Amino acid sequence: MDFQASHPGQQNGSSVSLVDRFGNKGAAVVTPKSEDEISEILQKANQEGKSVSIESGGSKRGYGGIKENYDYTLSMAEYKGVVEHNVGDMTVTVRAGTTITELQEFLQEHHQMIAIDPNWPDQSTIGGVIAANESGPKRLKYGSARDLVIGLRVVYPDGQVIRTGGKVVKNVAGYDMNKLFIGAMGTLGVITEITMKLRPIPKYESLVQVSASEDRIDDLKQLGVSIQDSMKEPVTLELLNPALSKKMINREAYTLLIAFEDVEKSCRDQEEWIEKHKPDGCYAEVLTQQEAQNFWKTFRSHAPNSLTDKAAEITQAVVKVASKNMDVYQIMKESKSIELEHDVSVEAHGGLGHGISHYIVSGKGEEVTAAVYHLRRITEVRKGYAVVKHLLYDLRNQIDIWGGKTSYFFLFEGIKHTIDPNNTLNHQRFIGGI
Amino acid sequence: MFKNKKKKKTQRDPHINKLIEIVGEKEVLYEDADLLSYDCDGFTVHRAMPKAVVFPENTEEVAAIVRYCSINDIPFLARGAGTGLSGGAIPLNREVIISLVKMKHLLSVDYENRQAVVQPGFVNLKLTNSISDKGYYYAPDPSSQYVCTIGGNVAENAGGAHCLKYGVTTNHILGLEVVLPNGEIIEISEDGVPDSPGYDVMGLLTGSEGTLGIVTKITVRILKNPEGKQTVLAYFDHIEDGSRAVSDIISAGIVPAALEMMDKTAIEGVEAGSYPVGHPDDIEALLLIEVDGILAGIEEQIDQILSVCKGRNVREVKVAESEEERGRWWANRKTGFGAMGAISRDYLVQDGVIPRSKLPEVLKNISEISKESGLRIANIFHAGDGNLHPLILFDSSNPGETEKALKAGTACLKACSDVGGSITGEHGVGIEKKEEMRFVFTDEELEAQIKIREVFNPDDLLNKGKLFPTPSRCMDVKKIVKDTVAVQ
Repeated sequence: MDFQASHPGQQNGSSVSLVDRFGNKGAAVVTPKSEDEISEILQKANQEGKSVSIESGGSKRGYGGIKENYDYTLSMAEYKGVVEHNVGDMTVTVRAGTTITELQEFLQEHHQMIAIDPNWPDQSTIGGVIAANESGPKRLKYGSARDLVIGLRVVYPDGQVIRTGGKVVKNVAGYDMNKLFIGAMGTLGVITEITMKLRPIPKYESLVQVSASEDRIDDLKQLGVSIQDSMKEPVTLELLNPALSKKMINREAYTLLIAFEDVEKSCRDQEEWIEKHKPDGCYAEVLTQQEAQNFWKTFRSHAPNSLTDKAAEITQAVVKVASKNMDVYQIMKESKSIELEHDVSVEAHGGLGHGISHYIVSGKGEEVTAAVYHLRRITEVRKGYAVVKHLLYDLRNQIDIWGGKTSYFFLFEGIKHTIDPNNTLNHQRFIGGI
Repeated sequence: MFKNKKKKKTQRDPHINKLIEIVGEKEVLYEDADLLSYDCDGFTVHRAMPKAVVFPENTEEVAAIVRYCSINDIPFLARGAGTGLSGGAIPLNREVIISLVKMKHLLSVDYENRQAVVQPGFVNLKLTNSISDKGYYYAPDPSSQYVCTIGGNVAENAGGAHCLKYGVTTNHILGLEVVLPNGEIIEISEDGVPDSPGYDVMGLLTGSEGTLGIVTKITVRILKNPEGKQTVLAYFDHIEDGSRAVSDIISAGIVPAALEMMDKTAIEGVEAGSYPVGHPDDIEALLLIEVDGILAGIEEQIDQILSVCKGRNVREVKVAESEEERGRWWANRKTGFGAMGAISRDYLVQDGVIPRSKLPEVLKNISEISKESGLRIANIFHAGDGNLHPLILFDSSNPGETEKALKAGTACLKACSDVGGSITGEHGVGIEKKEEMRFVFTDEELEAQIKIREVFNPDDLLNKGKLFPTPSRCMDVKKIVKDTVAVQ
């Protein structure tokens, strides 16, 4: 394994300190190349009372965490590669440090894919995506990590290696322990291998972009409702606010992204249905195959992350808002008042069929935090919640990025204490400081 | 059922009096004669009597019962319709059974947000029936769906024939209200908002077989009916051709809604049962394949399936010509387990899962197990997701045959786990497969799960003795199981 005295990025002079503004850094970086090494490192840290921060691609340094420094950064970046791919069974087992792009490119040769479309596929690793429960617009059809992961290998803080789930697509033997580690922000164990269900790459894909001016946003919502109530099967129903739409497709209007993935006949049939049912005055454009793929590629890179956010003048926050499906529309509509009341710009997109939205708020530090509180207020009125996924370390400490504890927080504490009694792993990275 | 012989209050067990105080006299059974039908569930090999059965009508009553049991160290467990196949609802420790059958209401349906809220005793199929007029349905469809409850489905993480495409229960649960083993009520993902911050306790509870908490309200996802649906029936002279066709269909990039298989013995059973459809009696295997989705795209997939089957020497392959025909094929399949009663006095269902590609190998091994045990084994299963259901046919009136059947069942599970599979895909571990947990997990891994149970259920009063084999902790349970078998 490689030990380095400081974060590798620090060799690059100025860009380093920019990354370090997001906290979650280790005094020393250790880059294991085997599971045994990972186990050894954790066991040692655990015994010596050292704290460990887990990282692989490094794109999520600004996500969670009210601790600036840890004793070690455990970098998973070199623990990568496909362990096992059973083409006929449509399952893959992959090491955590493999990037999403590396994995997809490998599977593509066999006309298969993992059905998860998180941001920054070139930088994000599968381990990070699973640990942070990242998802993209296509979760509408394919589900999220909890629906796709069938097995994990996890190194516990005491060095023990535990397997959860299995390698078959249907399995109820024992507790569904996979669920514990998905979205746990690395606070319970180091995920070393992930086994996932695969899907065939769709034979055809298309994307209909329907745009409506601000006064016609209700029409767009209605289109969303009628698609959902029809028997059509969109892969996405992602609504963009005018600012994001302008950035993505140069149309300053509310835009609904309706994607289809199926055999060509089916996609065409559904495109025609949209054309027929789109409200008067809406503008629609259809992208097919490579064009659609190119659009999604750009879309996945639009949000800032801790590797790309080098802005010094402005502060950027990425907020994940979760709500009931159709409240996505209502919250986005109301979020317009944020720009009016605070000196910030807001880019937003959210899935009408799955309830997850993302808001990118940019402006001066204190304006951004005020805007985040504002967004959280309008979300909580609708019984949703807002979690800050990307923000400078200093500002993270000023606001509760998870939005308060749930009434059953004691169970989280119990689980954390049972698995990581010494708070060795990613301490304070998650809700309520666990 | 509720006619208790009136005993004077003073003569009764004081705990029973207290339970009566909580739910009322009519809602507590405690006489042996009334308790008899609660001595087992769908797994009838083991039996044991509960202390009492109570029928709460709301969450507060459930919480009050649980609190009382918890304070007084009385073991307790929750029960739905009692259709579980692994013995999860069998009272091994003279439990108070909390039956949730009176909490059987559909509380709300929100079509725009595609969710419904039900009480745990609400019957699975009733949900689909309640929303079908608007073109919606609830996807998980275990074969017992006409009687099993959604609360039970959550406990077992139930599957069904259509989970190949649509997933199992856990993929359709959006929120849960739960009474914890100390009587505290918690609400997870109220209103069905996804990705609730914190550990995924909802995911952990689903499939925990009633050992972590009692679910009292469930928010589920509802789906719109597919626009089109086509069902194919294919007959094969050789079982190997049938199993290879399964892999070929999946490899062709088709995601069927269902892909079911039956072997010769199973076909003999279903044809002797209540819903025969006239399958030939000299074929080795049949496949029942369903494709659904956008109408315009289905034909292409059906053509592909037909050509795959032809490439695997299918004797006959046909597409259902009407909804009525499709319905008959499915009734024949879904009543398959029960139909075995027509050709065998007793049967034991197993539930192993294998990687699909190992199907030919494992079916061969199961046939060896059948030969060695001298017992017939019928295979009727979800081939698409590799979930086998070997049905071991036996006659419990023949001395030693029950034990032989249990042994054959274990051997089938070993055959599955040996190829990298699992011991259960949808029926759960219960008491039936506790020992077989060792086929798939190390002691450390079992211990890790037990430690999670202790977070929720520290005194182990809730559904004690299920799921885990750990000797140090389960020695008592094993003894009890042994005793209960002995008295049969």
